[in-house]
Amino acid sequence: MTRDDGRMRMTVLGGYLGSGKTTWLRHQLHHGQFKDALVIVNEVAETPVDAAILGDVPNLAVLAGGCVCCQARSKLVSLLREVCDARSRLDSSRERLQHIVLETSGLADPGPIVEAVRGDSVLVHHIVVSEIIVAVDALNALQQLRSEPLGRAQVEVADRLVVTKIDVAQVAALTRLLATLRRLNPGAMISGAARGSAGGLPACDDADPEPLPEPPAEAGRSPIFATRLVLDPTIDWTAFSVWLSALLHARGDDVLRVKGVARTPAGRLLLQSVRKTVQSPEILPEQNDRVDNIMVVIGRGYRAEDLRRSLQYFATAERT
Amino acid sequence: MCASCGYPAAPGHWTDAGATDPGDRIRARFRRAQVLNAVLRPYGLTAHDGGLIPGLQIATLSGSQTIVDDLDGVWVAAERLAGGAVDPLDARFVRTGSEAP
Repeated sequence: MTRDDGRMRMTVLGGYLGSGKTTWLRHQLHHGQFKDALVIVNEVAETPVDAAILGDVPNLAVLAGGCVCCQARSKLVSLLREVCDARSRLDSSRERLQHIVLETSGLADPGPIVEAVRGDSVLVHHIVVSEIIVAVDALNALQQLRSEPLGRAQVEVADRLVVTKIDVAQVAALTRLLATLRRLNPGAMISGAARGSAGGLPACDDADPEPLPEPPAEAGRSPIFATRLVLDPTIDWTAFSVWLSALLHARGDDVLRVKGVARTPAGRLLLQSVRKTVQSPEILPEQNDRVDNIMVVIGRGYRAEDLRRSLQYFATAERT
Repeated sequence: MCASCGYPAAPGHWTDAGATDPGDRIRARFRRAQVLNAVLRPYGLTAHDGGLIPGLQIATLSGSQTIVDDLDGVWVAAERLAGGAVDPLDARFVRTGSEAP
């Protein structure tokens, strides 16, 4: 549990068309996950089908006819504002909504959705995006990753990847997919699912990742990699935050994701960013067995050692 | 909490999250100005935070200055005043340990 700052947590569930988002979500709901959450389903088509599949979810809202990361973004913002408004009107003795699950359309990039919530002057006070879960189709994902930049964008920003349809995928193809996913998003937790229920995944240590062609818009750009930054005692939170804000300002299109826990005078801070947008950090409870002060930076177009040196410069330069 | 509108206090800039009590907050502000000065000096800029009023003053050596709310504002103002983005991966910031003073 995180510190209760009164804001609702929002889980964004994304994944390419037909990747099994709804099936997975239905199974989770059936088993009591996301209990009491408001489920928002977005579909590009005018006729909502997913809502029918989900069946009798007590608290369900549908946004049909447009993708919430682009043309229907204002619809999402106004729906969320209504939800926040209704919640704020409840007196404090009543049970208030704590969690929202947003199932995006298969064509949505979760990044702009996080930005929409973070950038809205009302929503930022009421909602914090706590997790981005992306469903990955074990049968079709490799082909999608090869041909669709969007499929890659979805995988790159995920906190958690759920590989679906593992019961019908061949082991060789599955290990290759897992190795590819590890390469695209080394920081994400990967789990498997078959018709929504959790399943084991084969080890992929020996498998080679699929050589993915550069998407047309990004031809000539270097591959994405993850860098582990250790915040040793010489690097305080203030210096780190000055450094990271400068980095995101100058290199925000290259630095796709930053995630980690830092120890600060205020406690353990969970920090995460998606491209240029940084979530307000959450204060985590003290847990002595955790290894903190490690930040994972995922991006491209720079050298890992330059990140370390530059951070060190920011942390120690004033003593010159 | 604002007494008029009922909104909870603004979450603030994410970089402010590391300090919650007043002592830590003021220390963090001075430290922030210290780090910024080291970083902005090569660009001909200075940062000043007196600790009394919110915001940071960014000034050029010729005296033109601006007040910004937070670090995002600092980098936008620095880019405008210095005529180019302050890039932490610029060669001047990635010297190796032996080259560092």
